Amino acid sequence: MKTKVFSLLLICFVCQYLTYGQTEDMVLIEGSRYIPLYGRDSTVVEVNDFKMDKYPVTVEDFELFVKESPKWRKSNAIKLFTDKTYLSNWKNDLESKDSVKSKSPITYVSWFAAKAYCECQNKRLPTVDEWEYVAMADETTKDARIKPTYNEQILSWYEAPRTNENIIGETPKNVWGVYDLHGLVWEWTLDFNSVLITGESRKDVDKDSNLFCGSAAVNATDLMNYAAFMRYAIRGSLKAKYSMKNLGFRCVQDVKTESE
Amino acid sequence: MKHIKIISSVLVLLVLAISCNSDKSKASNDALAVYQCPMLCEGAKFYDEAGSCPVCKMDLKQIEKASKEMETDEISEESIFNLMSKWHTEEGKEIQLEDLKGKTLVVVMIYTSCKAACPRLVADMRNIEAQIPDEKLKDLTFALVSIDPETDTPERLKAFAIENQMDDEQWTFLHGTESGVREFANVLSVKYKEISPIDFSHSNIISVFNAKGELKHQQEGLGVDNKETIETILQLIQ
Amino acid sequence: MQILTKNQIKMKKRNIISCGALLIMILFMSCKDNNQKKEVSTTDMPISREMKAELTSPPNVPRSVGRRKAKKLIVNMEILEEEGELTDGVKYVYWTFGGSVPGSFIRTRVGDEVEFTLSNHPDNKLPHNIDLHAVTGPGGGAESSFVAPGHEKTFSFKTLNPGLYVYHCATAPVGMHIANGMYGLILVEPAGGLPQVDKEYYIMQGDFYTKGKNGERGLQPFDMQKAVDENADYVVFNGSVNALTGDNAITAKVGETVRLFVGNGGPNLVSSFHVIGEIFDKVHVEGGDTVNENVQTTLIPAGGAAIVEFRVDVPGTFILVDHSIFRAFNKGALGMLKVEGEEDKRIYSGEIREGIYLPEGPGIQNMPTTDEVVESEIPAKSFDEQMKFGKQTYMQTCFACHQAEGQGIPNAFPPLANSDYLNADVERAIDVVVNGLSGEITVNGEKYNSVMTKQLLSSEDVANVLTYVYNSWGNSGKVVTKEMVEKVKNK
Repeated sequence: MKTKVFSLLLICFVCQYLTYGQTEDMVLIEGSRYIPLYGRDSTVVEVNDFKMDKYPVTVEDFELFVKESPKWRKSNAIKLFTDKTYLSNWKNDLESKDSVKSKSPITYVSWFAAKAYCECQNKRLPTVDEWEYVAMADETTKDARIKPTYNEQILSWYEAPRTNENIIGETPKNVWGVYDLHGLVWEWTLDFNSVLITGESRKDVDKDSNLFCGSAAVNATDLMNYAAFMRYAIRGSLKAKYSMKNLGFRCVQDVKTESE
Repeated sequence: MKHIKIISSVLVLLVLAISCNSDKSKASNDALAVYQCPMLCEGAKFYDEAGSCPVCKMDLKQIEKASKEMETDEISEESIFNLMSKWHTEEGKEIQLEDLKGKTLVVVMIYTSCKAACPRLVADMRNIEAQIPDEKLKDLTFALVSIDPETDTPERLKAFAIENQMDDEQWTFLHGTESGVREFANVLSVKYKEISPIDFSHSNIISVFNAKGELKHQQEGLGVDNKETIETILQLIQ
Repeated sequence: MQILTKNQIKMKKRNIISCGALLIMILFMSCKDNNQKKEVSTTDMPISREMKAELTSPPNVPRSVGRRKAKKLIVNMEILEEEGELTDGVKYVYWTFGGSVPGSFIRTRVGDEVEFTLSNHPDNKLPHNIDLHAVTGPGGGAESSFVAPGHEKTFSFKTLNPGLYVYHCATAPVGMHIANGMYGLILVEPAGGLPQVDKEYYIMQGDFYTKGKNGERGLQPFDMQKAVDENADYVVFNGSVNALTGDNAITAKVGETVRLFVGNGGPNLVSSFHVIGEIFDKVHVEGGDTVNENVQTTLIPAGGAAIVEFRVDVPGTFILVDHSIFRAFNKGALGMLKVEGEEDKRIYSGEIREGIYLPEGPGIQNMPTTDEVVESEIPAKSFDEQMKFGKQTYMQTCFACHQAEGQGIPNAFPPLANSDYLNADVERAIDVVVNGLSGEITVNGEKYNSVMTKQLLSSEDVANVLTYVYNSWGNSGKVVTKEMVEKVKNK
């Protein structure tokens, strides 16, 4: 028991040291207030300043991680944190299959694995509000949701097959300098389980007070933002130990000094 | 007539043979018992057969198993005790989830300023507790975990416990870090979202874990028929 | 030989009567029992054993349930997102149940307990679920079947009502999921099954909304705005324009009874379903119990269905359409039923005879005898004017035989459009108009042997009309002048 905790801490120290250079590939996102698709009671949320990874975590990044953290290797990962599909496109504990490009985004990872990776680098997963805040930008505008072309482009990606096989950095970067928020893979977020959708979408506009406790309505603010609808639907259908072919992640870091 | 005699004697023999088999199995059960040196010369090491301790030469003592499946100290892959997060109880004690090992766990996630579902969830928990016979309660822990660690400090949780007459041994309230709470919720598949500083939306799920921390049953919704939950709990604490 | 005493005869008679009475009583009692059995409500209907459902792709349907009892029916449905062809050169990414649009046909019996497993293929990008209209329960199953890619969910329901029901995906945005092809039909047959017919087929209408116009080539994405405006680019049967035409047509033989399970997935448009050349003997209105008879066109609501039955009596190709007719001919709502077999001339004879019907035009037509000519009062001063006047003359004089686009009438009057005979020799053409023509000629490979009377037109008019003809319909583009006509006239 004690040895477990010790070894975990040791692993974290080691990988933090090794992956120190990773903080170079981040951009600063200036916080602000905005209205996301599913907001709070007053619908406006505030996002603080933070740094976000320019690219999603790649296969080769994750291969490095499992080398240093045997706990997260395919054969060692425990059932509490992963299911049978975890790293299913890897040929062994340390390497992905030859057909998988090393600079493509890592997929088939669970939320617990993604969280552990980010924490190992002294970072964390972005919250839904942070992710959506950066994702609503296009190449020139910070809030491009009113532009019809913005929505159309994203919706057309949702129909393009096998985009997870592409390498990172091929979609144009947005005004913040972040790549691949759209057009590559879905991404884990820290509080994806704050999306209280039952899957019965015709009822989801009605606060189902039996299944979900909520004295405020959890309604969508913009019924025409279909791209966002689909992202929230995916989040609502996931459980933390699932992995998916089209689901990866990236990390963010608070700008204030780390504490706790 | 002859035939009948032969058949009946064969039958009798069969019956005896079968009962003998069961005797044999009983014997093999005893063989599963473990033996340990009473002076613990070799620490927690135990032996399958009776004998003497190689260090102090004392006779090995047969150990009574504490509970049915606790021969080893190993935590299974599916157990929530794999989570390393730190928590505080309403008494202010710092624990890790593993400290709850050994008793059947009934867990619900709430927050104390909740006006809508939480009082009903708490009532549901109380309902379940009422249906467990008193002498079995010592094998149970009812844990209420707060999804609002900022407001629900251990002191506030203690006040809530007293207010709701849930201050007995079997009730535990847990306060954790935001990250620890989010992680725990994900293990239970509980969804929650902060709507305003004192208001949360969350799913209403009561979960039952066995003494090893493995999830055995979940009940979703308010005022739902808890027959299956009770059955599962009773089975686990036997 | 036994001689029966009077008493013995009486006894025998009594026995026979009492036996007969007993028999009749027994029969009545068993009949009563049968009646009581029929009154078990579908909610309490017991099930016997289990069976795996046979799922079929359109336009085929599984076998009838026949006389089987209610069972536990196991249905495994897979969701696939894959690219397909909407029409020639137009590709579309369909979201499908079971790999087809519409999705697989599910055939059940009333009282079955269906164990439904919905699997979302790991290659898919989006979560989905299913709402079956045959389900009595919240969301029609949608709540319990919300599933992420690479996972599956199982739930169970009992079919309480017989009928033909639609199923579809109900994940937000619902309209988009349905518009991309996530719909199908589930049939709940009454006890004993539907009466037997010779052929049964599965057809489902749907409207599609693409970024490009109807026919624009390439991979077309879904257009949300057009869907909201209910402005469909394609309205098709079974997911694509050619799903039921040509080699894919459904077939039957003369004398067979055909039953069509017709659904309408929508998402928006209601269907006016009609089979050209056939009348529906029976229509199970909206898929329910009411049966209408002798119906030409039946309404199928979006998210609804109907069962139509008819006997095919004559051979031919019968076209299935949505009789909101522009959808059939301009957007693809067209299918074919090909029937083979012996003709029956009494029911439909086909063409009996043909003839010529010519309403007289204002031009005077004579055998070539007189030279009377009417000079036009205003001569054409330019090419454009020649064309204009020439067209007027054409429509008055030549149109009746040579038709509006110069196409002529096959076997009767040769075409002027793209005519090799015309373009070969201008003088000969002038000569024909001025002097007439008879005898066999070959135009564009076809023989014509008829009579064209000489046209009593002034040289001006001849020049104008020939200029118009030569400059229309792909002809050589010559200009004919009054002088050229005069020259021919004076030959």
